[in-house]
Amino acid sequence: MSMEDEILKDFLAEAKENLEQLDQDFVELEQDPENGELIKSIFRTVHTIKGTAGFFGFTTLEGIAHFSEDILSKVRDGLVRVDEEITTILLQSVDYIKAILASLEQSGKEPDDIEYLDFIVELRNFAEKLTKEKDEDKPKEQSSPEETKNAEPETAEDDKVVQSEQETTKQEAESGESKEDKSSKTETAKEEPVKAESKKDKAPTTKPKLKKPAAPTAHLTETHVRVDVHLLDKLMNLAGELVLSRNRLVQIATQLSDPELITANQRMSLVVTDLQEQIMKTRMQPIGNVFNKFPRIVRDLSRGAKKQVQLRIEGAETELDRSIIEVIKDPLTHMVRNSIDHGIESPEIRIQKDKPAIGTLVMRAYHEGGQVIIEIQDDGAGIDPEKVKAKAIEKGVITPEQAATISDREALMLIFQPGFSTAEQVTNISGRGVGMDVVKTNIEKLGGTVELNSEKGLGTTVRIKIPLTLAIIPALIVRSGGQRYAIPQVNLVELVRLSTEAMEKNVQVIGNSEFYRLRGQILPLIRLNRVLKCEECDDKESSSSGLNIVVLNSGDRQFGLVVDAINDSEEIVVKPLGQHLKHINCYAGTTLMGDGRVALILDVVGIASTLNLRAEDSKRQTTLVSDKLSGEDERQFLLLFTIAEDEYFALPLALVNRLDKVSIADIEIVGGKEVIQFRGHSMPVIRLENYLPISPLPEQDHYHLIIFHMNEKDIAFLVSRIDDSLDTSVEVEDEAFKQEGILGSAILKDRTTLFLDVFNIIQIYDPDFFVVPKVATAHQARILVAEDSSFYRNLLSSYLEAAGYEVVTAEDGQAALEILEKEDFDLLITDIEMPRMNGFELTKAIRSNDKFKDMPIIAVTSLSGEEDRRRGVQAGVNDYQPKLDRDQVLNAVQNLLGSTEMQQAA
Amino acid sequence: MSDMNQNNISEIESTPELRNEDTLEFTTFFYNDHLFGLPIDEVIEINRALDVTPVPLAPDYVAGVVNLRGQILTAINLAKRLGLKKEAQKEQEISHNNVITGNREEPISLLVQRIGDVISVPKSQIEPPPDTIAGVDRSFVKFVCKLPRNLLMVLDREALENPEKAG
Repeated sequence: MSMEDEILKDFLAEAKENLEQLDQDFVELEQDPENGELIKSIFRTVHTIKGTAGFFGFTTLEGIAHFSEDILSKVRDGLVRVDEEITTILLQSVDYIKAILASLEQSGKEPDDIEYLDFIVELRNFAEKLTKEKDEDKPKEQSSPEETKNAEPETAEDDKVVQSEQETTKQEAESGESKEDKSSKTETAKEEPVKAESKKDKAPTTKPKLKKPAAPTAHLTETHVRVDVHLLDKLMNLAGELVLSRNRLVQIATQLSDPELITANQRMSLVVTDLQEQIMKTRMQPIGNVFNKFPRIVRDLSRGAKKQVQLRIEGAETELDRSIIEVIKDPLTHMVRNSIDHGIESPEIRIQKDKPAIGTLVMRAYHEGGQVIIEIQDDGAGIDPEKVKAKAIEKGVITPEQAATISDREALMLIFQPGFSTAEQVTNISGRGVGMDVVKTNIEKLGGTVELNSEKGLGTTVRIKIPLTLAIIPALIVRSGGQRYAIPQVNLVELVRLSTEAMEKNVQVIGNSEFYRLRGQILPLIRLNRVLKCEECDDKESSSSGLNIVVLNSGDRQFGLVVDAINDSEEIVVKPLGQHLKHINCYAGTTLMGDGRVALILDVVGIASTLNLRAEDSKRQTTLVSDKLSGEDERQFLLLFTIAEDEYFALPLALVNRLDKVSIADIEIVGGKEVIQFRGHSMPVIRLENYLPISPLPEQDHYHLIIFHMNEKDIAFLVSRIDDSLDTSVEVEDEAFKQEGILGSAILKDRTTLFLDVFNIIQIYDPDFFVVPKVATAHQARILVAEDSSFYRNLLSSYLEAAGYEVVTAEDGQAALEILEKEDFDLLITDIEMPRMNGFELTKAIRSNDKFKDMPIIAVTSLSGEEDRRRGVQAGVNDYQPKLDRDQVLNAVQNLLGSTEMQQAA
Repeated sequence: MSDMNQNNISEIESTPELRNEDTLEFTTFFYNDHLFGLPIDEVIEINRALDVTPVPLAPDYVAGVVNLRGQILTAINLAKRLGLKKEAQKEQEISHNNVITGNREEPISLLVQRIGDVISVPKSQIEPPPDTIAGVDRSFVKFVCKLPRNLLMVLDREALENPEKAG
């Protein structure tokens, strides 16, 4: 009995493998119906299943296999051509066989369902129909005497096989309990001769070939061993333990500094590392294992949707951890479904649009920087941001007002919001209650990310990034509050060590938040001790000797994590947290250190969310601003301060060089102007009430200084209090308070806050401040500024005008284009995200217009992502600058104007 | 459970000669005057040499995590979990007596002040806990057992393991 069980197990395992192959083979066969090898391979598989089923007495299985074989034999013998109908019914039988196998695996019995018998009848009728067609088609061939003669010896053999098979079936049928089984069996028996006949026809030519390819298959099985997955997992755990023990030994060896021990240890270290890698490899599987299921899925889906889709698979050999492969299968299926259902158009529409009738779907996998990238790309209609917006409004995800302000890219990301489906009709393919939000959540659970790129009319690409493995990860060990923590290397961007001096210069404390200016970018800082609420263990020593900043990337934003010390990087084995601790979102798990003690693994996303929480807190208070779901592009840190009580002011933090305090005694008066000593120079300080209609600065012992460094010079505003900093999107009203030195107002934290025009104020204070001798162009250069936010528009034109340019502004790309048609300009500065026509579209429009196709264009944005930069360059932008960096923008303007003048001169 | 006890009690009464077999063994440990116990088959091991790594942000009653031969367990400060008086907690913080208990999948470690003996108690003396027990959260006590010198409180392992239960 147990031996039979053993055989059954082997049979099931083998059959399952073969069936996976069958799915793919059938689809290939449909495209290449003449491929004899393929047909034979399929025939063999089905034949094996039939034989084994007969041996075990699985009558239903045998029946299905039998008639499939029957149909296949006709195909093999060239009597019928493979068409869609045949493929469909054969695929159906594969599905039934799979279902039966699944049932066998579970209960050891065939499913007791009338459905299977119905299908056998259907299959039989189909086979019969084919036979009749064949008989009508080729009566002449059959009567050819020569062929029959040649065929004779083979046929005799064949008949014997059939005979014995029939015998077993008969026995089975007799022992079978259900009547229906019996009747189906008798039908089987009746059908046999037909099959034998059909085999006769071309058997002589095909038979010898058939036997040959069987040999390599047998050979293959000898080099591979089936291993229980649990055994592999256990090995993996043990390897993990071994790595830990090794780490411990390495530490001891270093302490003892015994050369022999160290040498022996190093050797063992090598072996362990190698062992670990090899065991890791056993868990690695080619992504092809998942991808291979897709030709079938794509075929079924595209038929269902009445579309023609060709699937191209690239990088199927890319390997990743088995546990990950299992989890990504469903998200991938969902996205492929989406592509076929919503992406690729029906053939008629495609032809109208000048595309090939057959749509192309590419599934691509490759390694990049320790991660696996999976792309699903289609050349379909792309996603229409307007439709997405409309749908989002309909579903109540966003309000119509919000929809008007968000950019196309953000609109696309709405697809990942829970409860979203863009299909106009819910078809049976998609709309199964699983949305892209589930896809996103699943991928993020794996520590991966999803990106979506879509060009209307050209197609959509979904990019998934996932880690190679989850079990052993490289991590950076840091120390905070006397404890060690591990930070996954994937999230690590760079390490920054600040001396006390540099810290004072570049770290600004505003309200409760700290910021560090890293190469011109504002980097919010999080103190790990504070996040973990052990401030009492704040290391006095470390804070007095500077700062250790670990710059981390949490999906869409970067932040600096301040830790007491940075130790080393190490390969760590991830172990889960117990159920009492699971809910703490700052930890991703635990790991063991070389000394046997436990260290917690930090969850970078979780820690970043504590920052977001703070930002959201303040956002909630900004009644007006928070209502807008405005672009990430327009978000910025604002510095809030007061001069006299109850009058609130704001300016972009990015303009500020540093904040300082000054005692009233330190302010000197030189030449009628107030100055203080700063960095060895005397720096002018501005009292804002002298230039703005505001209440004067009250008398105080100490004032706060907001120091700017522009045009190689320092200058400061004198204010009474720095209130806070705010990460928010600005919607400045420029009507109510529009005047010299003020850009506009907004309600922040329930208070009307005036936005200062820093450049303008400085210019009023010192008209020569921004004058750079170099800007001595023959005529005053005219610059067109396209920018949708009035705040930035005013800011840009303010400092451009201050630098001596003539500036005209436009509210968006469309307006800019209209102005360009009428007037001449030397240069265009454009924002990227704008309504109606964005910066890229504007650039393309300009480059394709003969009138001004050579005009220099500078794209400005509040964040400078590499991706945006690349897109900008592709669109034809000459330069790319952060919009708040006055000096850089002015430099770029000067350079571009200079070069065009030289061209004109030449 | 109490039904079962009733049965046991009647059994003991009817067959006094089997009394030895009808005892339960408990691993005991002390907190000042309090004596606690866990059925001996629920205790995996007692370990005095495990370092506790604190976990910031964890619930108050979690002392941290410990490494038991590669497996990482949550260490529960029993005093805090049971709501014992302050003095007791202070002393406990110095002690590192780990009583490892729980299912094999995810055991927990209880940090206790002092380990006591293994004692056998006749089943007949095991009772459901009274409505109130001075200074101890009753929801973690499964049974009590009156011993000649003091009261043994048999802890409810499942309640201790359950993170939903407030400490």
